[in-house]
Amino acid sequence: MTANKFMRLFIVSITICISLLGCERDASSLREPAAAGGPLLVRALTESQYRASVHSIFGEDAPIAMRFEPGLRSEGLLAVGTSEVGLSPFSLEQYNQAAIALSDFVFNPDNPNQPCLDSAADQFDQTCAQHYLSTTGLRLFRRPLSEAQLNLYLEIAKQNFSLLGDFHTGLKYGLVGLLTAPNFLLRIEQTEIVDGVEVLDAYSRAERLAFFLTNTSPDETLLTAAANGQLSHVEGRRQQVERLLASDTLTLAVEDFFTDMLRFDRFRDISKDSGIYPAFNADVLQDAQQQTLLDIVQHLLVDEGDYRQLFNLKQTHLTRALGPIYRVPVPNRKGWSEVSFPSDSAYAGIQSHASFLALHSHPGSSSPTLRGKAIREVFLCQEVPDPPADVDFTLAEETNNHAMPTAKDRLIAHNNEPSCAGCHKIMDPPGLALEQFDGVGKFRVLENNTPIDVAGNLDGQAFETVPQFAQALSNHREIPRCLAERLYRYSVGRDVTWHERAFLDYLNQVFVDVDYRLKPLMRTIALSDSFYAIDGNHSQLSDTHPKIAEAKP
Amino acid sequence: MNLSMSTKNQPLLLLAITNVLAVAMPHALNAAEPTSLAGKASAGFVVSDFKYALSENFDEMLSCPQGVSKNEFEIYAMTPEGARKPTESEDDFEKRAMQAAYAKMANGGRNLCLHPELGEKDPYFRVLDNTRELTQGINLDGRASADDFSTPDGEQGIDNQFLRLVGCSQSFQPSGTSNGFAIEMLAGSWGILLSLSGVDDWQNDDLVEVSIFANADPIQLSPARKPLHYASYNYDSDSRFQTVTKGKIKDGVLTTEPADMRFHHVTNALMLERIFVDAQIKASISDDGALSGYLAGYMPIEALYDYQFGYRHATLADGSLAPEARRVQTSNGASFVLGYTCQGVYQAMHHLADGHYDPIEKQFTSISTQMKFEAVPAFVIETDSRNTDITSTGAQ
Repeated sequence: MTANKFMRLFIVSITICISLLGCERDASSLREPAAAGGPLLVRALTESQYRASVHSIFGEDAPIAMRFEPGLRSEGLLAVGTSEVGLSPFSLEQYNQAAIALSDFVFNPDNPNQPCLDSAADQFDQTCAQHYLSTTGLRLFRRPLSEAQLNLYLEIAKQNFSLLGDFHTGLKYGLVGLLTAPNFLLRIEQTEIVDGVEVLDAYSRAERLAFFLTNTSPDETLLTAAANGQLSHVEGRRQQVERLLASDTLTLAVEDFFTDMLRFDRFRDISKDSGIYPAFNADVLQDAQQQTLLDIVQHLLVDEGDYRQLFNLKQTHLTRALGPIYRVPVPNRKGWSEVSFPSDSAYAGIQSHASFLALHSHPGSSSPTLRGKAIREVFLCQEVPDPPADVDFTLAEETNNHAMPTAKDRLIAHNNEPSCAGCHKIMDPPGLALEQFDGVGKFRVLENNTPIDVAGNLDGQAFETVPQFAQALSNHREIPRCLAERLYRYSVGRDVTWHERAFLDYLNQVFVDVDYRLKPLMRTIALSDSFYAIDGNHSQLSDTHPKIAEAKP
Repeated sequence: MNLSMSTKNQPLLLLAITNVLAVAMPHALNAAEPTSLAGKASAGFVVSDFKYALSENFDEMLSCPQGVSKNEFEIYAMTPEGARKPTESEDDFEKRAMQAAYAKMANGGRNLCLHPELGEKDPYFRVLDNTRELTQGINLDGRASADDFSTPDGEQGIDNQFLRLVGCSQSFQPSGTSNGFAIEMLAGSWGILLSLSGVDDWQNDDLVEVSIFANADPIQLSPARKPLHYASYNYDSDSRFQTVTKGKIKDGVLTTEPADMRFHHVTNALMLERIFVDAQIKASISDDGALSGYLAGYMPIEALYDYQFGYRHATLADGSLAPEARRVQTSNGASFVLGYTCQGVYQAMHHLADGHYDPIEKQFTSISTQMKFEAVPAFVIETDSRNTDITSTGAQ
């Protein structure tokens, strides 16, 4: 048993103890345990973070002309994978290409906001160049440039001015240098010594906070707060956290977290047989993801609803492209319509959305196995092992088998294989519960002219119908725990450490006490000491570490 | 006579209530497929195919023993001066004959397609005047007269003088191009919506309400360009394109009382209107919520000439009259490609008209026409709807 698994078992046991003994604590009496922290990290910017950062610094019109490599998913999150992945030569080439296109945009003579507009072309304007590179570098690097760094990019600008004879062209290449620097493309956390203790420095704190609550680089206010030492004390952090929680960018952060958690990155590889699923087209592909994110934002942020209710919500948002999937009227001709499903509708909750059902299906059929696995892994944070290498899927995939007309019939036969039965025992009940949705999420009651039986039992909760399954999922004790722990992993960009188990326990109890509302949970994380803490065993990321060393000019 | 469409329309106030269709999702344990109409009181449809009902046993030798109609080029080529000269290349001949044909159609500045009444009688226009042809459709006037057609299974009295009009024109044959106008519908230029409400029994019901609308939205298609089921569409807010009538269902076949209908039509980006007077629907309702059958009625001949042949009053998208050059090019080009003269077809439709007799002019003013259509399930949404709660506007 790994440390992580042991720790989860321990946490589950604690929760059961609390439930059985009725010893829930009042939120006000909760005290954050002593922060344990984790290692210092070097994290790659995600695609959404890169895009958001560029647009927040250079404007929404700034072009991003590159292809992003798929991320690495670890512990169920791409955000965790960002601290484990490297930058390939392909990525560097793409970043360089994007940097040139972006710099061309910034220094386009027709751009009224072109930097150093008043400077002569045939002379190197040291003052303006230094000002531009230092202010833009502050935003891009998320901390002030060191003197050596500033001199480096100034030198790049000067050399290109000498070669090309134009000041703005020279300065443009200084910007290209900033945009391709590790300090921009990687989130390199740094420390400082306070009272003899090594802690995250103020800019690294600002960076963690900004990406967690806005999914973009720190804004000028946050950088100023870091410079003024405001982030070194609780009240200063609280001011910034409340400011960011109240800003519109919180929506982007929440969308990014759920995009990551729900594995929407896999939509780029999804394909469906258009002969079998004629309603599934490129518009549906886009809108299905957005539908789920809109519902999440509406319920969790706008309505400040209970997270568990996401799994039996009857309200949703639809476009006309999605209408034929759900077979309900969509009033608005353009954009989104708020729609309520009837109370007896099978459509209830985000697990009944086309985004989930289509993503966890085969190109030409549904898949109770993939869906059951996804329910376990995505929403309950439970691990389901991959199938044995020699497993025979023939029987399970014979969708036209009239002797075993439904998926349930075929899986029962398939599960006679001892090597398969163990995993299917946990995957099949939730997967088969969704069998009344076809491979793109269209409701059906028959398969091969045989009624589809969705009855089952989800970890002790029996259900007969799809809505009852939705309720069982909503009631599942691991649903909120999984969200709270995954959100913390997302925020710090790594798996939790052994010593953080008490903090996770605390976090789960806070989530209970705030009625499973997301924003208070995010506030708790952002204000916690654990969020900023680093453990003492991080010498691998000291200044002598190659990752840090190569980031220094 | 008054051919106003509005006189037969029901008050449109009803539409907002009756035609916002919403279908409750069936209970999970119900073994009926969710596409079934069972238990629903209303249903909407979008027309997925729409074309003229033509002959089902056409044989050029038997059906048109005097040959097919000719265009101005072919007519000129048959004259002594128009015949190809021995020393003339094919290109030169075609160029000379086309110039002559266009010159005749230009008619000294009053183009014959825009002014077909000025044309001399076309001796080469052919109509389908035999009694052997079989076609499907609706007996519009309740009688079986000599001009009427029979169906392959022996039903008599099918009124379809339009078929006689175009039956011996090359492009209206089974392999011709004139019956492919649904391409424009699938491209989203126009469309037709239907809705049925007040249905107690989808097999037999003595009284149902049937609404027919012009679609205000482009039809939604699959990647294979097949209309999608259960898409949502708004109907045209212009009341001229909204019709409500009564109908009944017998043995799963819907028939409606006569009503006037008007639809959009687009040719060569020219906006046109397809008008039916005293139109009826006869269509089978399938268990999975589809319609298949006929929409038939009388098309006023001047309106028919406008949208099908002459484009005299065609407009641009903004409603303004299209430039004359564009109307002339479209109508002249169509007559060449489709094989008739504008004056010939205009004269024939007056001769074949069989509906709405004008006692003053002492002539019929409309021509019976049968359209074959298919329709798939859809949601018909009221214009300017703000209601977003399915349950509150739910199944009736």
